[in-house]
Amino acid sequence: MQRVFARSVLDAARTVPDGVTSHTGPRPKRRFDVYRNNVYVSLIDVLAGRYPVILRLVGDDFFRAAARCFVEACPPRSPVLMEYGDGFAAFLEEFEPARPLPYLSDVARLEWAWNRAYHAADRQPLSADDLAPIAAEDVPRLVFELLPSVSVVSSPYPVFSIWSTNISDVEVEPIDLASGGEDALVVRPHLEVEVRRLPHGAVGFVSALAEGACLAAACERAMAESPEFDLQTNIAGLIASGAISGYRLPGGTEI
Amino acid sequence: MDKSVKTASTLAVAGAFAAALTMVATPGAVSAADQEKCYGIAKKGENDCKAGPGTSCAGTSTVDYQGNAWKLVAKGTCTTVKTPHGPGSLTELKRP
Repeated sequence: MQRVFARSVLDAARTVPDGVTSHTGPRPKRRFDVYRNNVYVSLIDVLAGRYPVILRLVGDDFFRAAARCFVEACPPRSPVLMEYGDGFAAFLEEFEPARPLPYLSDVARLEWAWNRAYHAADRQPLSADDLAPIAAEDVPRLVFELLPSVSVVSSPYPVFSIWSTNISDVEVEPIDLASGGEDALVVRPHLEVEVRRLPHGAVGFVSALAEGACLAAACERAMAESPEFDLQTNIAGLIASGAISGYRLPGGTEI
Repeated sequence: MDKSVKTASTLAVAGAFAAALTMVATPGAVSAADQEKCYGIAKKGENDCKAGPGTSCAGTSTVDYQGNAWKLVAKGTCTTVKTPHGPGSLTELKRP
């Protein structure tokens, strides 16, 4: 009964299910439509709150229409609404009317990473002082533990610039799409989610570290991917952004 | 891998690590000393002001860019923040 009801609510093509009744008569279509619309509107509002930059980029009408299609295609799988909207970026990538804006799905990926970081578990970041006692000969074998909120978004479009001007500026700065790709690091070191632009080659470096590679191996991978990779700047950037929560040495110290 | 090459890259990684530690002058969090109170820039409900521990008016501003509500921003950047009513201010404002 509940399953039939839920399916009918989310699919406008379905008729009012058996057992739904009111004083105006059995299976009241118009009343059921009001209920159905409320469900849609509340889920669309959830997405609008989660993807403020997409909303600003495409405008209210386009956003709500696209979000309605998304809700139809991917209704919530969990009763926890803070987890809802994960697939919106993938949906936008395939969404025909959004084709003229190819960067949209990467911006949505960045906004989802922000949401993920916002709800991720707290962990205290390590400072440069915490890392200072590590002996030089141990450094290459060092395995870092990153904060649970850390994620990396890589794009062939200037995704960080698009996101940042739309989230913080009253008047959006003009951005040249041909200016090349940008990568972003999302992390919540304390209470506020921070989004930083990553230097060239950093995506491979941070991803390798996140997968548990040691410092030397992550460095090798980054240099293979980008000859401009600068290890010193990248390590300093990671520490400064508060992305490192611990480290260990294979068969040794753990912090 | 050739042993001498390996030693060289090991040294390079350790050197870069040590240099990176000295590069990070103010580690981790932005300290209060690097921030300033900026009036008239906070969006509705996003102001930071609080009157000491236990009391708080944080998040209580009722309109966007309320002139007597402040938000912490990096030092020296307040008056460069653009709003529809003009730039942010280090002192209270009458707006909107």
